[in-house]
Amino acid sequence: MSTELEQRLRGAMERFTDDVRVPPGLAARADQHRRARRARTRAVTAAGTVAVMAAGGLAVAGVTGAFGSASPRPVQTTYTAYVVRHVERALASSRVGSLLEQDRTVFAAGNSLEPVPTGLIGSAHGSGGRSFWPVSSSLNWSYRGTAKFSAFTAGGQRVFDVRMTSAHQTLSSTAVFYRNHTWWTSTPDIRLSGGNGGPSGCVRGHEIVLRKGQGNGWPGFIRSQLACGAYTVVGRQVVGGVDAIKITGASGTFVFWVNPATYLPVQMALPQQRTQFQWLSPTPANLAQLKVTVPAGFTQVQPPAVQRH
Amino acid sequence: MADDRAVTDLESFLAARGEPLLRTAVLLTGSKEAGEDLLQAGLERLLRHWSAIDGDPEGYLRRTLYNLAADGWRRQRAWRGRLRLLQNETAATAADGTTEVDTRDALIRLLVQLPPRQRAVIVARYWEQLSEAETAGVLGCSVGSVKASASRGMQRLRELSGTAPGAENDLAEGKTR
Repeated sequence: MSTELEQRLRGAMERFTDDVRVPPGLAARADQHRRARRARTRAVTAAGTVAVMAAGGLAVAGVTGAFGSASPRPVQTTYTAYVVRHVERALASSRVGSLLEQDRTVFAAGNSLEPVPTGLIGSAHGSGGRSFWPVSSSLNWSYRGTAKFSAFTAGGQRVFDVRMTSAHQTLSSTAVFYRNHTWWTSTPDIRLSGGNGGPSGCVRGHEIVLRKGQGNGWPGFIRSQLACGAYTVVGRQVVGGVDAIKITGASGTFVFWVNPATYLPVQMALPQQRTQFQWLSPTPANLAQLKVTVPAGFTQVQPPAVQRH
Repeated sequence: MADDRAVTDLESFLAARGEPLLRTAVLLTGSKEAGEDLLQAGLERLLRHWSAIDGDPEGYLRRTLYNLAADGWRRQRAWRGRLRLLQNETAATAADGTTEVDTRDALIRLLVQLPPRQRAVIVARYWEQLSEAETAGVLGCSVGSVKASASRGMQRLRELSGTAPGAENDLAEGKTR
């Protein structure tokens, strides 16, 4: 019936795959990717951490969720190229670099976090023996080298504030805990990246690597991931009144909605959390939100030890 | 270490059977790069269950490839309507060499346009030369479903490649449907 077509199809398949060779080390690469994913699920870092660390110019790994590697995307690279060009234009705008980031995150049930001198560590599944605090939502403020992260219970009670500042390649942090009336401050002995942190390298997993720069590094990071193919544009969607560009990783479990004018994120969705971004003018009132005040009567305690990865 | 042993065993397995599996993955995804990604994802799952797999891992890996590809296709179809929003603005970039679909053979481009189930059946039947029963086993569906998908898929390919004027031109211009 369709013998001729079947023969043509078979021939086309032969020609299409005749130079296909298994790249060396594919099994080892699969194993590395599997191990990295396993490690990340053991040490989950909240989205707020990303923003906090972005201000300090650090690389942060470990956003919840898993990217699959299968990525059939026959037409999407074209759109990616389009977006990359527009991101470059957006980066040319000096205004983007002078905006203050405010983001609100709602976490899935069971999420818990612990401030440490270099940021936050967390777990989506209980404390795991550490001194994590159950956290249902967070509010993060970030501007240039300073960020403040506030965590709340499901009832809206404040659990802790942590403020981080980077200056002269040095990081300092202060955390206040409202449930047990304690606080600590720390200047961990680590050196931050000195440069402005241009576009970061291609991230092939569910890592976010933000560096100091315009818009706290977000446009540069998104641009670099689109350019190298780690992220893909999948279309447009109205989010918070913005006709945003939707960008996802290979498996679709990690999604950004990006403002088409500024290429700053409007929303970010992970399997365990959803974050809404706002980009505000650095007015005195907004900048005041970056401050952390230790209430009278709170007891100063030793900060947790810095863990080096 | 057990994991290292599994990777070594898997490398040996790939040396013997990797190429046909990768060719299948390339046809399932429509590009070499995506095919490699798909195979790597399948290998990750294989490693995860390595100790529980009794005997030849090829069957497990083949089924995984088909299932993962079907997942990807489902997402792609859902997004296709949205992609149109950007289509006009990006038409100029369609021929810049970044498109992942190989342009050497129009039939492959037409194959990429088929719904995931039909495409998987056609790859299994006409590339892997699996019987209808074997195809049903790999895809986890009935023989009747395989027959119907194969028939509809080939009919669609006939329409696109022969009796549908301009179909290939449309594809060459990068239009989505």
